[in-house]
Amino acid sequence: MKYLSLKIEEINKLLKEKKITPVDLVEEAFENIDSNKELNAYITLNKEEALRKARELEDREVDNILFGLPIALKDNIITKGLRTTCASHILDNFIPIYDATVVEKLKAKNMIIIGKANMDEFAMGSSSRTSYFGAPKNPWNKEKISGGSSGGPATTVAARDVLFALGSDTGGSVRQPSSYTGIVGMKPTYGRVSRYGLVAFASSLDQIGTMTKNVYENALLLNAIVGKDEKDLTSANKEEEDFTRLIGKDIKGMKIAVPNFFMSDIVNNEIRDKVKEVIKVLENNGATVEFVDIKYIDNTVTLYQIIAMGEASSNLARFDGIRYGLSKENPKDIDDVYYKTRAEGFGEEVKRRIMVGSYLLSGENAKIYYNKALSIRDDMRKEFINVFKDYDLIIGPTTTTTAYNLDDPMDDPKKSFMDDVLVIPVNMAGLPGLNIPIGFDSNNMPIGMQIIGNAFEEAEIYHLASFIEKELNLKLDPKGGENNE
Amino acid sequence: MSNYFATVGVEVHVELKTNTKIFSNSLNGYGEMANSLTNVVDLGYPGTLPTLNEEVINLAIKAATILNCKIRKKMHFDRKNYFYPDNSKNYQITQARTPIGYDGYVEIEVNGEKKKIFIEEMHIEEDTCKSAHRGSKTLLDFNRAGVPLIEIVTKPCMTSGEEAKLYLEKLKELLFYGNISDCKIEEGSMRADANVSLRSSLDDPFGTKVEIKNIGSISNVKLAIEKEIERQSKLLDNNESFKEQTRRFDDKLNDTILMRVKETGNDYRYFPEPDIPYVILKDEMISSAISDLAMLPDERRNIYTSRGINIVNANKLIANRSLSDYLNNFIDTDMDFKEASNILLGDISAYLNREDKEIIDTKLTNDKFYDLVKKVSDNTLTSKNLKDILVKVLEEDKTIDEIIAECGISNITDSSMLEEIVQKVISDNPDSVNDYKAGKDRALKYLMGQIMKETKGGANPKLVNDILKRELNK
Amino acid sequence: MKDKLTKEEVLHVAELARISLTEEEIEKYQVELKELLNDVEKINDVESYDDDILIACFSESAKLRKDEVGEMLDPKEVIGASPRHSGNYIEVPVVISGGEGA
Repeated sequence: MKYLSLKIEEINKLLKEKKITPVDLVEEAFENIDSNKELNAYITLNKEEALRKARELEDREVDNILFGLPIALKDNIITKGLRTTCASHILDNFIPIYDATVVEKLKAKNMIIIGKANMDEFAMGSSSRTSYFGAPKNPWNKEKISGGSSGGPATTVAARDVLFALGSDTGGSVRQPSSYTGIVGMKPTYGRVSRYGLVAFASSLDQIGTMTKNVYENALLLNAIVGKDEKDLTSANKEEEDFTRLIGKDIKGMKIAVPNFFMSDIVNNEIRDKVKEVIKVLENNGATVEFVDIKYIDNTVTLYQIIAMGEASSNLARFDGIRYGLSKENPKDIDDVYYKTRAEGFGEEVKRRIMVGSYLLSGENAKIYYNKALSIRDDMRKEFINVFKDYDLIIGPTTTTTAYNLDDPMDDPKKSFMDDVLVIPVNMAGLPGLNIPIGFDSNNMPIGMQIIGNAFEEAEIYHLASFIEKELNLKLDPKGGENNE
Repeated sequence: MSNYFATVGVEVHVELKTNTKIFSNSLNGYGEMANSLTNVVDLGYPGTLPTLNEEVINLAIKAATILNCKIRKKMHFDRKNYFYPDNSKNYQITQARTPIGYDGYVEIEVNGEKKKIFIEEMHIEEDTCKSAHRGSKTLLDFNRAGVPLIEIVTKPCMTSGEEAKLYLEKLKELLFYGNISDCKIEEGSMRADANVSLRSSLDDPFGTKVEIKNIGSISNVKLAIEKEIERQSKLLDNNESFKEQTRRFDDKLNDTILMRVKETGNDYRYFPEPDIPYVILKDEMISSAISDLAMLPDERRNIYTSRGINIVNANKLIANRSLSDYLNNFIDTDMDFKEASNILLGDISAYLNREDKEIIDTKLTNDKFYDLVKKVSDNTLTSKNLKDILVKVLEEDKTIDEIIAECGISNITDSSMLEEIVQKVISDNPDSVNDYKAGKDRALKYLMGQIMKETKGGANPKLVNDILKRELNK
Repeated sequence: MKDKLTKEEVLHVAELARISLTEEEIEKYQVELKELLNDVEKINDVESYDDDILIACFSESAKLRKDEVGEMLDPKEVIGASPRHSGNYIEVPVVISGGEGA
């Protein structure tokens, strides 16, 4: 019996009635992962500890809907006692001594951490091919990328190994791979989820996000991980809320904006056509959809490059071979420790970004580039906020193309940024954004649509997403299994 | 040397007296086992984030107030990026662009004239870890990593080592009195760097700047600056040019030693710390920090001298803060401060030093001290009496009257008993009585002496004087 | 606009980043870094309304922490993760010059 393909309420009922136990679920998850081994979705499996935890839960009261359910974590989320590598050689033996706040929250719900999922090294990349452990493969076509940087979490959810995964999204790293693999991926408002224990890439942009096969489960998972955290000064002081509360409601009177930039010729035709079809559906159901211009939206990749690389160059300075992690053996002096450890420990993409970031902050450049970028970023956020004075939500395609081939060349340093041109603006403005699958291209690869909300209006995003999900009723199991939304 | 004008600026780091570190809740302590006062934040573990200690902001507001600085109400932190093993994140969190305090001054007295030393800015930052060099290795102890600091930067407005010394002494006194820092230079909780440059004329631009780092004591700051002025003068005399550089002072060689020459200027790649949002100081927070500020030395000095304490004793009290704080409990009373300061600085200090105690460790209550000063001041107690009863006063839970009774001192202040003794002395010394009546004052003193002898020094002199005169004038 | 950085420019940023490079890598980065830097030059074509900068989204003011001591690590845990240590200390090859910072 495949319990993990049942509806979540049914699994919960079976657990409550003691017809199944968390051990059954964990064993099934590991069987799934094993049968999908070639997808390379994981860096580290947590088999022994997951089973131990599952057995421990057998006698416990089933106190919440997420009880006993397996979850995968992107490998840049710190887990006590469980290797956390950020897909980098420099941390490939790093066993943390504390838990990220989100991990504490998952444990409080008695969810079971099944393993640490593959990703781009330090979340830098858009195809997960910069992973020290090799790239994950797209369950829809193993020749294709799963996207990135949260490629592993997207792969394992899309392949139906597990129901839940957490990723991180600095410039689209949850939404873009969700789009490429046909799953639901939410990047919450900056500050909604604590970043404590998320290994920083670009601190002012990073946010942990939820990745699931459907909208309802996504909202449930978000319920579990949000909240003000005393350990993270950038976490927002917001009351808890139920993000599922608008799911299933009609969309009559909803006002939706589509930025012209999102439907320009940078996006391939098949994807634009799919989005237009969805727009029709929305209009037919009583929503108003209008095209708008958002100033600076076409500059966001430049802003992102400056801010993300600048911050990354500083955030990754701590990996120096002194206190933890990889260290050059028998160094002749302190510079040997620094230079050789970092040269050996970091991959090419990471080195490139650290060097460019260092340059952008160096001397007068900090003023010319970095401060200017922060200033325009402030303006851009105000532009977005203005749009939300007139509209409830913004929609558009998540990506300009569908997933491309794993063996496409990697020699263009700008490519990984351009893959994310449509998802980056959301991080720059700190807003919540979600990918919802809306169909397939001619090669049967998933196409995704992005729904962007005003700050802290994730519930409204789930509202529209659930409507689209229900209306389109797509078959989203790459192996052809039944839907169970 | 007299051919040049020296320009001196001073940068001081002081560690703040808080319970916890600035960006984490581990203990801010000194002298503990290596690496026992740390957590994952101090060590810069991946994924950790800074929090911001409220007390650091409070103390910084107080410091800014004491230094007459303007207080910035909206500020942020910056990252100063540099690789060094004592820096766990390889960046230091500091305030490069929005220091909490700016445009202040400290007043010193140079050769009897007041001079304002202008403070450019004071900002908050974190301390680095401590490193010890052992042969081919450097050992790192992160207990100090993240200890809160304020850095206070003067304008280049001093002209000599002596001025720098006076400034530092004043600064130390102020920060100590503000309860902001221990200011223990030997433990590193106060550290000073000096910048020195020379020029031939005050109309010239500033000369090449030399920084002298981490000078171990205030007197060495003076010495280091004087030596550096001497060194630079010689170079200039010989038309030798030199580059901007960092030196250290070696007190054994009594000279400054080159550490490094600045080539291109340090590239610290400052940028706003994204992990800490703006800090916005509400007016209530500022006013509550200021109202909590202890009375500063200058105000104490004014009060003490205006209440009859001489300047030497006033300064002695201020140098011993716990005594000064103790005396301040009586500002609103009619206590004789002059007598009180004599007692505090005399017998009580001697006792405290001998016993290695603080005044709060004794049984001296405010009421007892008030009573004691009053009795000494109105001659109920002689200085010898005071010496005799002091240990009891400080060690026993009894009132002054109870102690006096117990020691039998009350017998001597008993006037009927004294009258008997006076009568006896008068009848034993008729010559002196006649001399007195003939207007010789010395005779009175002699008679007094005789009475004191009879009472073994235990009589109240004022009372003796009164009785004696009354009897003689009969 | 020249199409690559000089070798010195690459070595300078590699020094800031503390990353050693082979001759081959230097050549590669001369081109690649320049491409990225050309890209970010576009920022000069953008005008901003005002000098306000965005530091952290949606946080009005940092919430300050009470000055209360929390849990600390055992020194054994501290040195346990470090590649080199002796006694309770973390160890590095000797560092001669004084600290640059505080």
